[in-house]
Amino acid sequence: MTGSGKLVEKLWAGLFASPYLAHLVLLTAWPVLALSYLSFTDYDTVSSPNWIGLDNYTRLLKDEHFWNSLLNTGLFALLYVPLQTVLALVLAVGLNQRLRFMPLLRGAYFVPVVSSWVVIAYVADAVFNPRTGSANTVLGWFGADPQTWLKSPALVIPTLALVAVWKGVGYMMVLFLAGLQSIPKELYEAAEVDGAGPVRRFWRITVPAVSGTTFLVLVLSTISVLQAFEQVYVMTGGGPGDASEVTVLYMYRQGFEFFQMGYAAAVAWVLFGITLVLTLFQLWLQRKWVHYA
Amino acid sequence: MPERERSRIAALGTALTLTLTTIAACGGGGGEAAGGKVTLTLGYYAEAGGPADGTMRKLVDQFTKANPGIEVKIESADYDQFYKRLRTQLAGGQAPDVWLSDGVLVQEFSGRNSLRDLTKYASDLDLAGYYGIDIIKKGDPQGRLFGFPQGAQSTALFYNKAIFAKAGVEPPTADWTYDDLLAAAKKLTQDTNGDGKTDVYGFRAYSPSFVESWWPMVKAFGGDVLADNGKIAIDSPQSREALTWMNRAMYEEKIAPDPVTTEALGKSQILFPSGIVAMQFGIYARIQTAAQGKIDMGAVPLPKGPTGQRGDLANINSWVVNRASSEPEAAAAWKWIKFFAGEGPQAEWMSIGEAIPINKKVAQTPAFLNPATPPTDRRPFTDALADADDLGLNPVWSEYTAAITKQVTAALSKQTGIEDALKIAQTDAQAVVDRFKPAG
Repeated sequence: MTGSGKLVEKLWAGLFASPYLAHLVLLTAWPVLALSYLSFTDYDTVSSPNWIGLDNYTRLLKDEHFWNSLLNTGLFALLYVPLQTVLALVLAVGLNQRLRFMPLLRGAYFVPVVSSWVVIAYVADAVFNPRTGSANTVLGWFGADPQTWLKSPALVIPTLALVAVWKGVGYMMVLFLAGLQSIPKELYEAAEVDGAGPVRRFWRITVPAVSGTTFLVLVLSTISVLQAFEQVYVMTGGGPGDASEVTVLYMYRQGFEFFQMGYAAAVAWVLFGITLVLTLFQLWLQRKWVHYA
Repeated sequence: MPERERSRIAALGTALTLTLTTIAACGGGGGEAAGGKVTLTLGYYAEAGGPADGTMRKLVDQFTKANPGIEVKIESADYDQFYKRLRTQLAGGQAPDVWLSDGVLVQEFSGRNSLRDLTKYASDLDLAGYYGIDIIKKGDPQGRLFGFPQGAQSTALFYNKAIFAKAGVEPPTADWTYDDLLAAAKKLTQDTNGDGKTDVYGFRAYSPSFVESWWPMVKAFGGDVLADNGKIAIDSPQSREALTWMNRAMYEEKIAPDPVTTEALGKSQILFPSGIVAMQFGIYARIQTAAQGKIDMGAVPLPKGPTGQRGDLANINSWVVNRASSEPEAAAAWKWIKFFAGEGPQAEWMSIGEAIPINKKVAQTPAFLNPATPPTDRRPFTDALADADDLGLNPVWSEYTAAITKQVTAALSKQTGIEDALKIAQTDAQAVVDRFKPAG
């Protein structure tokens, strides 16, 4: 290729990339810069921001409600991430068979993924309503006491995590399905010839072969749970009391309900920091267990 | 390995973009006057297509017909959406010229320098003819008028006549004390189908809407929430006594559903309309909800506490004018406010049953005081209005009441002891108040 040909190619590349670059600069980089500035100010959204240095951050350190929100988020993540990952893998293996109606079944698991949280909240109410919900009916069959689920400070996070898994598992399952389909058939055939049963084949072939996908699923679920907002906002509003007030909800309240945009910005940065550290930790950890073909 | 690198970069990239997208705000667009005509942007909250929305649009039509020089652009949404949008609009300088403010939020906006002082404008009206002026003025440290009454709410004791008649209990009177309330509620509480669970409760003590629950009770027992010196006053022996009364009603006498049961029964506002509770404290607007449940209801003044006080409270929903609006827009906004306060529009607004008319002449008509629909005597609401205190208004009202509510609810749900809860509520709420620095 000639020199001028290369230049034309570069111009074209730049032209095609420009909408994305504009988006990146205007809607991501600029808000991020503005946010860093705001986190050092006292800003009520109406009068101009007032520089207060590190005050927002020192206040955060002493803010029990912020720590409570982190604790709630952490508990949510501890329940959600492993459950979601294991269930998605198990479902994917189950749905990776050549059977009739399989597309229909796969679709069924994907319906909650594309439904809005408001719709999901209605369905969840049908299950977890303390008076009319089916969950208590099922508990009744086993002679267990009815529970108040989303209204109970002890059960609210586990219940939210269950609903979140139900909504999200279909998406993660599709990622696993893609991973499963890239495993060469010969591996299984060879193992079968060598006398390995289905359980052994699962642990020795399937699990290592999809470890890359597992890693991706773990990272994506962790990030999504740290950003949990809509679900909690719609289903419990952070209650009962502050038993389900997660960090993003806390940030939203401070900024948009209480006019403390500067403080909310500081919360956002701290949450970003935590997410980044966790993701980097997962990246570091992947060397120990992720196999790439 | 290149693939590993790629996946690592992809994961990191995804992490970055996903986390960064949590953080973004936006503004909106707005219009200006055209061709000598003033364009007035008018914001209010109402359920889309509901009677309030319909009546408001009808009144806007009347207003523009009477004022051909003013064009009105309506911005309405339901309550939550409306305020969410308003706060972002204010941040972007795109808020309406005149908007309907929940009474408790007037100070939040004026404390941040978003509102015009209406004192001068209002000098062309005889202010004694309207309810709520004093309460709005009380909210401002300098007694300025940052809003003009749109509709008033006060609290009364609602009761279900059918449940009373069936249980053979005498209806409540204006002389009732909290002891009378408890005694009657005991007789009204019933397990009608014999399954060992209460089907009808005598009273609804707890509601997340605290104007209809612990706030008037704390005041009736002689306590307060925000003292007149601007200090939080919730941690007092009187508050303890009031909350103890509530917990006794819910957990010992079991004549009222506790917070968890309330939520489980399906939100506190449906308990009375669906006949699950025989009595509730309710603001005037609850007549609408109860009427939908076809309840034959009566309303009497709140019971008296041990000190003889009733703890009457009022919330004056108000029209407020954007400080950033131009002079002609502000003048047009005032025209609208004056129009809305007039007898005709007030009578029209009254007919939807959402609020007590703020025009005293209209509030004294038989059409308001003795209507054909229950409750047929509405004097308890206007009487309560005359004695009522404000809801502890200040610029951080939403935040400080949220801090207190959280703790009080914990005490009423028995997650925290009353004494501890009130102590934490006091500290948290005072910290919120102390943190606020007035704008400007």
